[in-house]
Amino acid sequence: MDLSLTAPPAAPAEHPGDGTPSSAGQQNRMTPGRRIGQAVVYVVLLIASVALLTPFFWMVMSSLKSANEVFSVPINWIPDTFRWHNFVDIWSKSDMVTWIRNTMLLSVVVTFLQLLTGSFAAYGFARIRFPGRDVLFLLYIGTIAVPWQSYMIPQFVMMSKVHLTDTLWAIVLIQAFGAFGVFLMKQFYETIPEELSEAARLDGLSEYAIWRRIMLPLSVPALASLGLITFVTTWNDYLGPLIYLRTPSNWTIQLGLQSFISSLYDANYALMFTGLTISVIPIAVIFLLGQRYFVEGIASSGLKG
Amino acid sequence: MKRTIAAVAALAAASLALTACGGGSDSDSSSGSSGGPTTITVSGWSLSTTPEFQKLADAFSAKYPDYKVQVKEYDATNYNTLLTADLAAGKGPDVITQKEVKYLPTFVKGGQLADVSDLKAPDGIGGTDSYKVDGKTYALPYRMDSWVMFYNKDLFDKAGVTYPDGSWTWDDYVANLQKLKAGLPKGAYAAYLHNWQSTVQGLANAQSGADILKGDFSHLKEPYERTVGLQKDGLQVDFNTEKANQLTYQAEFGKQHAATMLMGSWYVATLISQQASGEADKFNWGFAPVPQMDSSTAGTSNTPVTFGDPTGFAVNAHADGAKKDAAEKFLQFASSEEAANMLAGIGITPALINDAVINTYFAVPGAPTDDLSKFAWATHKTLPENPTSDKTAAVQGILGDLHTAIMSGSKSPDDAIDEAEDRFKNEVG
Amino acid sequence: MSFILPNFLGFGLLTLVPVVTLFYMSLTNWNVFGTSQWVGLDNFKRLVHDRSFHTAVTNTFYYSAMHIPLTLVVSLSLALLLNTKLRGVAFFRTAAFFPYITSIVAIAMVWNIMFSPDAGPINALLRFVGVDHPPGWLTSTHWAMPAVAIVSTWRDMGYYMILFLAGLQTVPRELYEAARIDGASAWQRFRNVTLPGLRPTTFFITVILTINSFKIFDLILVLTHGGPGQSTTVISQFIYTKGFTESQFGYASAASVVLFALCLLVTLVVFLINKRRDA
Repeated sequence: MDLSLTAPPAAPAEHPGDGTPSSAGQQNRMTPGRRIGQAVVYVVLLIASVALLTPFFWMVMSSLKSANEVFSVPINWIPDTFRWHNFVDIWSKSDMVTWIRNTMLLSVVVTFLQLLTGSFAAYGFARIRFPGRDVLFLLYIGTIAVPWQSYMIPQFVMMSKVHLTDTLWAIVLIQAFGAFGVFLMKQFYETIPEELSEAARLDGLSEYAIWRRIMLPLSVPALASLGLITFVTTWNDYLGPLIYLRTPSNWTIQLGLQSFISSLYDANYALMFTGLTISVIPIAVIFLLGQRYFVEGIASSGLKG
Repeated sequence: MKRTIAAVAALAAASLALTACGGGSDSDSSSGSSGGPTTITVSGWSLSTTPEFQKLADAFSAKYPDYKVQVKEYDATNYNTLLTADLAAGKGPDVITQKEVKYLPTFVKGGQLADVSDLKAPDGIGGTDSYKVDGKTYALPYRMDSWVMFYNKDLFDKAGVTYPDGSWTWDDYVANLQKLKAGLPKGAYAAYLHNWQSTVQGLANAQSGADILKGDFSHLKEPYERTVGLQKDGLQVDFNTEKANQLTYQAEFGKQHAATMLMGSWYVATLISQQASGEADKFNWGFAPVPQMDSSTAGTSNTPVTFGDPTGFAVNAHADGAKKDAAEKFLQFASSEEAANMLAGIGITPALINDAVINTYFAVPGAPTDDLSKFAWATHKTLPENPTSDKTAAVQGILGDLHTAIMSGSKSPDDAIDEAEDRFKNEVG
Repeated sequence: MSFILPNFLGFGLLTLVPVVTLFYMSLTNWNVFGTSQWVGLDNFKRLVHDRSFHTAVTNTFYYSAMHIPLTLVVSLSLALLLNTKLRGVAFFRTAAFFPYITSIVAIAMVWNIMFSPDAGPINALLRFVGVDHPPGWLTSTHWAMPAVAIVSTWRDMGYYMILFLAGLQTVPRELYEAARIDGASAWQRFRNVTLPGLRPTTFFITVILTINSFKIFDLILVLTHGGPGQSTTVISQFIYTKGFTESQFGYASAASVVLFALCLLVTLVVFLINKRRDA
């Protein structure tokens, strides 16, 4: 099976906008019109990036301000003096190391479990017929619609009965089996031609092997985006940890920072934004490293094998 | 399909079994009988900036060596949500601190608080009525802040306006703000009014004697017209600007952006500590009674009317035996004169105020020393902001929407009041 | 069924059980503590007459009507634009996702300033292009909701862009080649190749996007807290207030059930439309 991604070398330069990947390596063959078109795209993207990054920029700048400079009239974009010391203080004054360790642990475990059980269940929903499948699936989607706040108390009471409150397990359990991942993966699996599985069945592969050897490799973009989204959601969750994690040594970064700030006399928002800026860094790194997987799936050439 | 439904039904049955039997205290009953000291838990919040819980706990344990008190910290903004979750799971503290009066009726209705009518609070203590439901008492107050008017003496001097003398009515208030505006340096407003609904409504309800549970809000018209006028005339920072820039009252008054500010007496301790730490500017300040509706309650020979809610302790209904005894003793201790003196010593306004307490309070370094501040702190008729009723939360919600509608300039006071009264009939009735 | 089991165990126990409890509680006068009495459909009857609930539902629909189409168009356009190998595309993709990971406090702060009626850059621009009386945005009962929809679209588009990007990889490239050989224009290729190939993704995104906008909560809480007046009060906020502020958990549960039913209805409609197109 040839599962390589590379487009045929003879493919002409493509116009960005119809959904096909185009290659910058072919610029030398561009017509002047194309070149102008590409310049326009860059300008649009640059303007959009400014609009997208402004609040983030403000957050980073605020992380370098003094406490009273953060909220002021009129807005202060650049601090008068850059307080790089904030980035030293936050580590010594708060328990960032513990919070980051907890958050990292939670995010990794939750993401792993969500990917594993989600894609596994999605295969069941997409490819295996059993009575009540559609109703069960609808039930899955339906629960996404119920706001967590409205059932968190019954859930908390249950968790408390089995003594799981105030443990990191509680967060793993409530986050890892979400219906979102199942839904996403199922939709993706349905785009993979049934013929592939049929052929594999004829070759004597078990359903498990089909999932493992065909479906999983073919769904890398979906797995990547699900992984990223799950990771970020767990990383940034506030309400869940707030309800469940009471002991400071169990706190996550969002919870820790909030509590740390409100424990100061005058909420030092500069220091809070310092912490938040630091907390964004791991996500940004993961995104930068992982973003090529969203587009470099193998699905597009899947049928050639 | 059938199998799915059966599975769901089984799960549902299991869940009901699990949630139906809530309640119970997390206290294992082993302690107390074994002879060692009995440990009770007390809920608290922001322990590093709210030292009262630990102080009370330590003083109590020192006085009663048989009892130990452990303060259980909750997130301050989500205190009620977290406490509700814990109580529902039967993991509540033995002594349940009542942060906001409006939630007490729910706890009582849900059978979470023990009847403490037998406990005797010291004579003259304020706020006890807020903890009565159907004639029974469910908590004892230990702290009772009330609203006063802070003013910056240095800014008054700069503007050439004489300090308040305690006789201000609302008309005097507006007239003086106008005088201040004329003389104040650039960047300073005559007043700062925080965006809470209580800054307007708390005083209006208390001074007009209106009962918000009756659904008639016409008494709010005049105060709102006045307040909207103040921000139109540039006497105080505009509500929308305040919201957009998320201004804090600590910075606005502490950084001398405003010459006067209506605020609760808890701010005294904050201002003292912020001036000491440098987070607030160093300037001379004091506080006066809030402006009055008319001269019958104004002036130092009368008793000014203001508002405020107590903070108090309640006993968990599921605490029993030694724990219950200990919790009740703790309640009694926290409301005693001994505790009041100790609380005053750390800048907190206790529910019980007498001459000794006044002296302790104003001896705190950094506290104002003028007579008017002492008068304002000790002499007032304080009506509750939140009447004790299970309707209060809903009514305050409606009035909160009224507040933002008027203050943002989206609705006239008349229209907003009409709408709030309609909603009252429809939703609370 | 064995494939579904591991996920279903967790899901059933931790989500389905509490949700079913919630359904039961919607038929009682539950106040979180102790026992609760069966009140039948009383809570639902009360919802029918509760004007605040009507306002919350109307506001939620109004918000969704702006947010859903806007987000679909913007995030799909972004995905198409960034599904290339242009130099620096990694940076732009990351930038598009940044609003989603920026602290919500910072978002509220900056957008409040942007929307500030007198001093804000947005109204300055509007005045510059000749609008004499630009809107009051977050401070106006009429414009607060559109402003919220703009901010939430801005925040969410990177999120949905990622899902669209993943979906775009499933469109077989051979189809593009074939279309190009047939002389199809970029628009025709988009209409006849990209859109049909994206249908499972679009279905997924439409459903998730609908549910999420019916459920919007945290962004409104930090931007307007439901105000001014009740102009941006939405269903989730109604549920939270009734439950945690007013301790009417039975009543709040009933509102959750209505929200659940609304979402299910939309999902079914989208599902049926999708089925018919497939046929």
